[in-house]
Amino acid sequence: MSASPAQREARTAVRRAHPARRTAVAGFLLALPPVVVIAVFVGVPVVTALAFSVGFTGGLNSVIAAVGQNVHRADGLVPTLAAYGDVFGADDFWQNLGLTLGVTAASTLIVLALAGGIGLFLRLHGGRLARVLSAVAIVPLFIPVVIASWAILTFYSADGFVSSLFAAVGFDAPVWAFTPVAIIIGSAWTSLPFAVLMITSGLQAIPDALIEAARDAGAGTVRIVRTILVPMSAVPIVIAVTFTAIGVIGSYTVPYFTGPNAPTMLGVALANSFTSYNEPQQSIVMAFVVFVAASGIGALYVWANFRSARREGRV
Amino acid sequence: MKSPRLIATLAAVAAVGVTLAGCSPSGASASSSDGSDKTLTVFLSADTNIQDLWQKTLIPAFENDNPGYTVKVDFDLHGAHDQQTVAKLTAATVQQKDPGYDLVDAGFVTQVAASGLLTPVTADQVPALADVPATLLQAGGNGGVPYRGSSVVLAYDTTTVPTPPKTLADLLSWIKTHPGRFTYCAPSTGGSGASFVTTVLDQSLSADDRTTLATEAAPQLESGWDAGFATLAGLNASVFQNGVYPNGNSQVLDLLASGQISMAPVWSDQFVTGVKNGQIPANIASTQISDPSFTGGASYLGIPSASPRRAGAEKLLSWVLSPAAQALIADSISGYPVIPLDKLPASVQALFPNADIANLRPGYFSANAADMNKAWAQKVPGK
Repeated sequence: MSASPAQREARTAVRRAHPARRTAVAGFLLALPPVVVIAVFVGVPVVTALAFSVGFTGGLNSVIAAVGQNVHRADGLVPTLAAYGDVFGADDFWQNLGLTLGVTAASTLIVLALAGGIGLFLRLHGGRLARVLSAVAIVPLFIPVVIASWAILTFYSADGFVSSLFAAVGFDAPVWAFTPVAIIIGSAWTSLPFAVLMITSGLQAIPDALIEAARDAGAGTVRIVRTILVPMSAVPIVIAVTFTAIGVIGSYTVPYFTGPNAPTMLGVALANSFTSYNEPQQSIVMAFVVFVAASGIGALYVWANFRSARREGRV
Repeated sequence: MKSPRLIATLAAVAAVGVTLAGCSPSGASASSSDGSDKTLTVFLSADTNIQDLWQKTLIPAFENDNPGYTVKVDFDLHGAHDQQTVAKLTAATVQQKDPGYDLVDAGFVTQVAASGLLTPVTADQVPALADVPATLLQAGGNGGVPYRGSSVVLAYDTTTVPTPPKTLADLLSWIKTHPGRFTYCAPSTGGSGASFVTTVLDQSLSADDRTTLATEAAPQLESGWDAGFATLAGLNASVFQNGVYPNGNSQVLDLLASGQISMAPVWSDQFVTGVKNGQIPANIASTQISDPSFTGGASYLGIPSASPRRAGAEKLLSWVLSPAAQALIADSISGYPVIPLDKLPASVQALFPNADIANLRPGYFSANAADMNKAWAQKVPGK
């Protein structure tokens, strides 16, 4: 209370320097939980898995190496790619990879078309029907994937709803249970809610003024969509696409329940390899293939984030 | 300034807590010992019928016969975590720590027996072993003890199949002349499918090779499977929906019960239970084929060598092989007894008039079966 101006100034300076350091420490501690959790539960397993896949079977990998079959061991410090050779040398791996990428591309396109359609309908037209549509599209979010997969399987099976309906009017319906078509339907179904939420909110955020100005200047709906709505919601669209694609590429439940035995998606193939064939090393190789494919898609997401950050002047 | 620091501290503590908690997910189950030899834990990796068998039938009867003993169950539905369980058991054995259970009933018992993780058991410790057929004991490996049997049978729809095939060759030709009316589950997903595949592969193998494949890891004999896999791939066009092999024993039973297929290999015990509780309609019957017959075999129990309660575990094991316990197993889940039928009550003998427990054709040794599952996935579906 009775401090002189000089003293007060000095104290302020100390306080200014001190808090800066303190904030840095506090900030670091605040960021610590996710960093530690990711390092321990994701980082370490990834590193040991990579080491195991090239034949380093000691240390943390010794138990899995003792239990597994057809485990290839590195010669001292020289890694071996024999497990990669096992996987890449088998025809069925390439068929599985082809199916995985095909299903991912098809499901993502369908989800993008459906979510984009609903989003644009809601943005440009609005009204009760559009609101009902966007609400119905969220429903799959609240239904467990196992239940949904089973429902889809029975719906499209030979004695299912579709077949029965067609049979009632004397036609033969295609049976989609246990085919890639069922996997695509299931994947699109489970991925739709997130994409709808993402794309609809992106489109809703675009100001009416821009659309009305374009209309006044004589732009048609197609032109408004192409030059205003899509570019301005590009980031949410890219996020929806990448999350859908990454979710589908690593999916297990939907292809396991609804798909064919062979070719099958890599998620199922690598689980089979791990549990049924007891080949952990080969299973990890497939996991890395899925990982590489997913990182390719993830790069798109990073690019979209970077672009939006630069636009807002954060980078 | 105070609250961010508090939050940061809490966050750091939470991070450490989460990390440590994650390191010991089964801390509670690992401490069942409490020092006495009379509190036992049975690890089950099976379907719910086996859980009921232990919890509602065997354990109450054992505790009743042996006052002072308490038996708990550690249950893994469908063996979903078998690989992790085996890895944990291996780790516990290597480090000489208590694995937390004293008796294992799981499909992987023969696998861990081969890895030397079980206590070898002889008729000295478990006298009832003298009554168990030697072939079954031998298939169990070092420490695996058979305690109930079941086999795969051919189930068929009596309304569409008046006279079922009698041999494997008859069955294969029936499949071809009735396209779309037969299927079996993918061998990696269920034992009934694995049995059908094994039986077709065995058709073109010598008796010696079959025995070797059933008792030890024999990768050198696996080239002999090619003829059988070619036969199986040739069936694709005649199988349900041009080659759909469902996942799991029960999906096949569903297809049969709903009339989508007319014939399929199924487990004897699942079939009997399904008929009893009405899941399988009365028009479905079962039969066994010959030349070769479908495989069957025993389910094995094992005492982990790392368990500190060996004497108690051996007592429970001996009891399970007693006539009283074997009769309970036969009554509740239609499991074949592994001791001679003449030691059992007449009512149990009547349940299995034709069962020849000693001569159930064994399936492959676990390492060979894993290779078979993989080869099947590569050579049969979609080819």
